[in-house]
Amino acid sequence: MKSIQQPVEMKFMNEVLAHLHDVSIGYDTPLIEGINVEISEGDVIAILGPSGIGKTTLLRTISGLIRPLSGEIELAIPSRGGLGYIPQRLGLVGNLSVRANVSMGARVRTSRWWPAVFPLPKEFEEDITKAMQHLGIEDIADQPVRILSGGQQRRVATARTVAQKPKLVLADEFLGELDDDNVEVVMSTVRATIRSQNSALIMVEHHEELAKEVANRIWRIKDGKLIEEVVA
Amino acid sequence: MVGDWGRLSGGWDNLVIFFNESLWPPDWSILEAQSYPVCDQEVELFCSVAWLGMVETIKIAFVATALGFVFALPLSVLAANNLSPLWMAIPARIILAAMRSLPSIIWAVLFMIIFDVGTLAGIFAMTFYTVGYLGKLQFESMEGLKNAPLEVAKAMGMTRAETAWYIALPESANNLLSHLMFMFEYNVRHGTVIGLVGAGGIGLYINTYLKLTQYDKVVALLIVVFIVVVIIDFLSMAIRSTVTEEGDVQRPSWSTIFLPASISSKYHTTPMKYNSSKEDE
Repeated sequence: MKSIQQPVEMKFMNEVLAHLHDVSIGYDTPLIEGINVEISEGDVIAILGPSGIGKTTLLRTISGLIRPLSGEIELAIPSRGGLGYIPQRLGLVGNLSVRANVSMGARVRTSRWWPAVFPLPKEFEEDITKAMQHLGIEDIADQPVRILSGGQQRRVATARTVAQKPKLVLADEFLGELDDDNVEVVMSTVRATIRSQNSALIMVEHHEELAKEVANRIWRIKDGKLIEEVVA
Repeated sequence: MVGDWGRLSGGWDNLVIFFNESLWPPDWSILEAQSYPVCDQEVELFCSVAWLGMVETIKIAFVATALGFVFALPLSVLAANNLSPLWMAIPARIILAAMRSLPSIIWAVLFMIIFDVGTLAGIFAMTFYTVGYLGKLQFESMEGLKNAPLEVAKAMGMTRAETAWYIALPESANNLLSHLMFMFEYNVRHGTVIGLVGAGGIGLYINTYLKLTQYDKVVALLIVVFIVVVIIDFLSMAIRSTVTEEGDVQRPSWSTIFLPASISSKYHTTPMKYNSSKEDE
C-alpha cells in the first residue's frame, strides 16, 4: 500500500465551515448553477460580478434565508450566533440606540433559553463597548440609529457583527458609503475579529481593486456560473 | 313608510325648533357642584356631574386600555405572519376576531349579568373589545415592518421572543403608540355608550339626562367629551414624537418657504437637532 506522508501543516489545517454541493440558486429561475465550493476558517472571500447576477441571492442562500433550487448546503457552525449577516440595507432597528443595536450581536451568544427581557451578562457588555470603540461609535452610543448618517450606520452594523463573534460573516456591500479612512477602520476591525475567532468572511463587493486588496479568495459570477479566481 | 315624502314636510323646521329650544345653548350647570352629596372640595368643578363622570370614564378607559394592551401585544406577535408560523398565527387571529366581533356594548351587557351594574362591568367590556381591536391593528402594523432587520435576526439565530422584543416592537413603536392612544381615545368616547347600559362613567349621566329629555345638558356633556378627545390627540402627538423622525427635524417656518434662502438662513440655521454629532461622510 502506498503511504502518503502528511505534510506537517495538515495538523493545523483550517476546518471547513461551509460546503456547497452542486448548488443552484435563484427565485423562480436559476441565477447561478452548479456551485461546488468550500469555505474554511480564515477565508476572506470577495464575490464579484455585475448587478442582478445573483451575488446577494448567493449570500441569502448561504445564510439560510432562502432555499437553494437544488443541491445541498452543509454548515458546520452553530445555528445560534454562528452566522453574522450584514445585508445591503444593514437591518438596523432605527428606533433603538446604537448600543442596543450592537448588543443584539452579543445577545445571540447567550443560550437560546436566556430570557429576551433579561440584561446581558457583564462580560458581554464589555465586548459591546469594545466593538463600539474599535469602530469609533462609542460617542454616539445613546443616539437612535435612525438619525445617523449612512456611513455611521454601516459602522453600527459592523459593530453588531463584531460583538457577535460569529464563525462565518456574510456582508453585502458593507464597505459602500464609507470613505477611505473608514474602510480601513472597518476592514481592520473585521479582520481582527476573523483572526481572533478563526472565522471566515464572504463579502459582496463592487470595487474590484478593494476586493483584491482585502480578500484571499475571489469568486466571480459570470454566465450563471461561479468561477474561483486565483488571487495573485 | 318608504316613499311617503309627506313625512319630510316641516322636518327641517322641526329640527331647527328642537335645536333652538332643547339643544342650544348647552346647559353648563353640569360644571357646577351637585346639590347632593355636599361638596367638600375647594373648587366647585370637582363636584360637578361633568367632572365626576368624565374622571370615572377616563379611569375606566385607562384601565381597560392598559389591560387590553397587555393582552393584545403578545396575541398580536403570535398573529403576525412574519413573526410566527401559520399554526400559531391562525388561532391567534381567530381569538382576536372573536373578541372584536361583539361590540363593547354587548360585552357590557354580558359582564353586567356577571358583575352587576357598575364600573367593573364597564372595565371588563372595554378590555375585551380593546384586546380584539388593538390586537388587529398591532399585528397588521407588525406585518408591515421592513424585512431587513427581521432577516438579520433570522440569520443570526435570534429566537422569536428576541425578534419580537428587540426588533418588531421598537420598529413598530410609532404605530403601536398611535394605536394605543387611539384606543384610549376610542374607549373614552365609547364610555358614553357603555354608560348607557349602566356601566358607569359619563354615559350614565348622559343616559339620565336623555331620559329626563334635558338635551341641553346632554350637549354640554358631549362638548366635554369632545374637549377631552382633542386633549388626548395632542397627548398622542407628543408621546409619538419620541419615536418618529418628525421630532428629529426642525419644522420649516413660513420664512423659509416664502423668503430667499440667503435671508431666511439668518433666522433658521440648524435643520437637524443632532447636527453636532453628525459626520460628513
